[in-house]
Amino acid sequence: MDYVLSLILFIPLIGAALTLLFTKSRESARIVAFTASAISFVLTIMIYLQFESGLAFLEFQFPEKITWISSLGINYQLGVDGVSMPLILLNAILCPLTIVYAWGENKLPNQFFALILVLQAGVFGVFMSLDFFLFYIFWELTLIPLYFLISIWGGPNKDYAAIKFFIYTHVASLVMVLGIFALYFSTGVDTFEIPVLLQAFSDIVDPKIRVGIFLALFFGFLVKMPTVPFHTWLPDAHVEAPTAGSVLLAGVLLKMGGYGLFRVLLPMMEGLGPYRENIVTLMAVLAVVSILYATFAALAQKDLKKMVAYSSVAHMGYVMLGAAAFNYMSVSGAMFQQFSHGLITAVLFMSVGVIQHSVHTRIIPDLGGLADRMPKLAFLMMAGFMASLGLPAMSGFIAEFMVLTGSYLTLPVYALLAMLGIVATAGYHLWAMQRAMFGSYNEKLGEPHDLANFEMIPMAILVLLIILFGVYPGSVMEMFEYASTIIPGVMI
Amino acid sequence: MNYIELASEFAPELILTIGALAIMMIGLFLANSQKKVLGYLATIFLAVASLVIVCRGIYDIQMEGILADSLTIDPMSQFFKLTFLVVSLIVVIASIREYDGHSNQDEYYTLILLGTIGMMVVASAIDIVTMFIGFELASLSTYALAGFNKKDPNSLEAAVKYFIIGALSSTLLLFGLSYIYGMSGGLTNISELAVFFNSNPAVLQSPMGVIALMLIVAGFGFKMALVPFHMWAPDTYQGAPTVISALLAAGSKKMAFVAAFRIFLIAMIAIKIDIAMVFMILAIITMTLGNVVALSQRSLKRMLAYSSVAQAGYISMVFVVMSPEALTGGILYVMSHAFMKTGAFIAVAALGYMLLKENSNAKDVDHLDNFAGLGKRSPFLAFSIMIFLFALAGIPPTAGFVSKFILFLSVLEGGFLILVIFAILNSALSLYYYARVVKYMYVLPPSSDEKLKVPGAYALAILLAIIGVLAIGIVPEPFVNWAANAANVLGL
Repeated sequence: MDYVLSLILFIPLIGAALTLLFTKSRESARIVAFTASAISFVLTIMIYLQFESGLAFLEFQFPEKITWISSLGINYQLGVDGVSMPLILLNAILCPLTIVYAWGENKLPNQFFALILVLQAGVFGVFMSLDFFLFYIFWELTLIPLYFLISIWGGPNKDYAAIKFFIYTHVASLVMVLGIFALYFSTGVDTFEIPVLLQAFSDIVDPKIRVGIFLALFFGFLVKMPTVPFHTWLPDAHVEAPTAGSVLLAGVLLKMGGYGLFRVLLPMMEGLGPYRENIVTLMAVLAVVSILYATFAALAQKDLKKMVAYSSVAHMGYVMLGAAAFNYMSVSGAMFQQFSHGLITAVLFMSVGVIQHSVHTRIIPDLGGLADRMPKLAFLMMAGFMASLGLPAMSGFIAEFMVLTGSYLTLPVYALLAMLGIVATAGYHLWAMQRAMFGSYNEKLGEPHDLANFEMIPMAILVLLIILFGVYPGSVMEMFEYASTIIPGVMI
Repeated sequence: MNYIELASEFAPELILTIGALAIMMIGLFLANSQKKVLGYLATIFLAVASLVIVCRGIYDIQMEGILADSLTIDPMSQFFKLTFLVVSLIVVIASIREYDGHSNQDEYYTLILLGTIGMMVVASAIDIVTMFIGFELASLSTYALAGFNKKDPNSLEAAVKYFIIGALSSTLLLFGLSYIYGMSGGLTNISELAVFFNSNPAVLQSPMGVIALMLIVAGFGFKMALVPFHMWAPDTYQGAPTVISALLAAGSKKMAFVAAFRIFLIAMIAIKIDIAMVFMILAIITMTLGNVVALSQRSLKRMLAYSSVAQAGYISMVFVVMSPEALTGGILYVMSHAFMKTGAFIAVAALGYMLLKENSNAKDVDHLDNFAGLGKRSPFLAFSIMIFLFALAGIPPTAGFVSKFILFLSVLEGGFLILVIFAILNSALSLYYYARVVKYMYVLPPSSDEKLKVPGAYALAILLAIIGVLAIGIVPEPFVNWAANAANVLGL
């Protein structure tokens, strides 16, 4: 099992090649694709069971290292620790479920499933890479499949949305790579290994250079998360993307931004010296603005999918707030929020996808009383919405509770402001449910079909997981418990 | 050194010379339908010449003072020679089908081989007169090749423009070099010039020195197609036969780079700072203008021409930084660009050939509209164009990414933050027009459902280019070491 991480990473890629080249029909394409992602899932569960939570931060398990470009100190280096393990698990869970959800895809099915597998591999790679060069390669690799998913299977305005997504996030990646270059030179360690560079960061003499590097990397992650005011690509991308693309975009791709915060930026905070206060303020302001702006924007949306997209921006704001507050409670909460939001948002996008598919609109005022004809959908969707607004006993509650409690300790003003958002969050969720699903049935919508089995099963599994992790968060939380003690500990 | 030794050192050039003469002679005795054999012969001669270079060793070969100190054999010359040979090889393979049955095939292949010899002489030259002769040999051959489709007014226009501008730039260059010759008291050898200028730096800063420098920069500027000396390039690349555009962009233009590396980085290193300033401005306007104008092009060949201008802007950053690392990046970029650009042009040529075969009256076969739905009509061609374009945009894991990474890294290492920021923004901008072609190929519906079958010769040429692009992208180590070795020759 020396190369188990490489296996997890490359099986989806091999599966993608097989799906693309050798499957002729929809039936064989989806079975090959599902098998590949299921094998990855099983392997992920194996490493999850063997994972030792005690040694967690910057103490990598299942390490692999192969020299790649020795003259520049670039290695093919993989490993997992408490920060990355939950996200790898999330990716391994979501992708097979997405493939099952998209079981009925008719348009170019072999290309569709192949792209989903490439996306899965890219995201695995980002979470596993311990070398900045490799990290960047996978980071960019995730753009291409999503670009195609939007531009081929997307909605009416897909051209604009796809190219905007591609260029916007590519620019952010390039700024990030500039930061990586600067980090490499200023530390002079002659390697792109992430842990080594992070440790050497505080040795850089000029504090201005340290802040410059930090901000360049921060910008890269900020756009990916995304944080207001750099979020404008996201609603467009979501509205036009096919459901499977939206699920993966919100479910795992945005988490790459948050992962960057924990993996790269927080360990650097100590090295910021006199500028640390300003950076923390900047992060907190961005977080609160994100939460409030996106929440109220969600309240104003007529398009159900756009509303869910804005709710993603708001929920990622809590991740940023937790990171900024920088204590054990808030950092744990933020990491848990990443995991939990991945599951919840998937249910939301799947529900919206079903509505779009069966009544051909998702404009809230045009809907109404769908619960009457689609009871299974109504039940699962309600569960998802409740989780999203933070109902206790579901995973979203734990995460947001911890973030807010934790940040009240260090950033009380910002935490209080963020709490204002909670009220509106409950508001737009319930209001949307009421207008779209309850009340009297809008006869203009025809005779919609309720959930097909292949749609219901993944949604039901996700809802069960949300409840499971809401009741017993420890199974995930213990993985980064140690990390979130250490990260703030490094600084104080 | 006796003649036998000399002949063994210059075996590749001699093989090509014999080949060129043989093809010309054999052509006399063949009917038009049999002249295809000449293409196979040219392929064999180029392949053998490349093999000889590889077998002779490319890492540690060093031999100076050949033929009265006019030529050298070092890792740098061998690197560029091999690049030129591979480009010509790919071009010749593609031409076998393009000009099948054409009555002037003997001249065609002879000119390509002679042009290649000229480029190889430039790569080896360490004497400014020899260098100039090599330039002229390569240029005169390519002037004729650009106008090879003699019934096509566009091709003739391209040739005439190329010839007039080429002649002008040669004159400027020669004039500038003659001043250098005069000022130095009759020196033509590059290393002797370096010694002279290092001990008398004031000479180059005198009014006459400044004029000489201006003339040389302008002469090279035309040959490298740096803005504002680039006006010929788009017209020529668009009008010339597409396979020849590949040779021009990837071969003869890069020949100017190797000559300029030797002249500016060795002979004139004494006035480093002045050269750096000039090239900084040229590099920034070149890459920016190239990319901005490429945005609005509807003709693929013209777009590739502007993209080639922009790429020349990136490479000319080497003259600003002047460090061994930057030179390594620049040299590697030349090779990567050779594969990407040749591949892209050949792929466009293949499409043009197939469309013309379908309908011999088709006009503007490289127009963007003809690429609509190519993904369905010819999956292989569309996929390879996508790889070349993404490589040109610098998306991993391709040659374009690795060479951009190393080049930009070295520019930042040299402390030119502004320059890197310009390069990175440009790189992001370029993604727009590359991705647009990909969108046309995969998203838009095809104009007809008929499948297009790529002829074997084109497919082979494209495949060779793809192998090059992916090999440098995935296993960069040997190529980087090789380029670094070549860069060491100049002893920066």
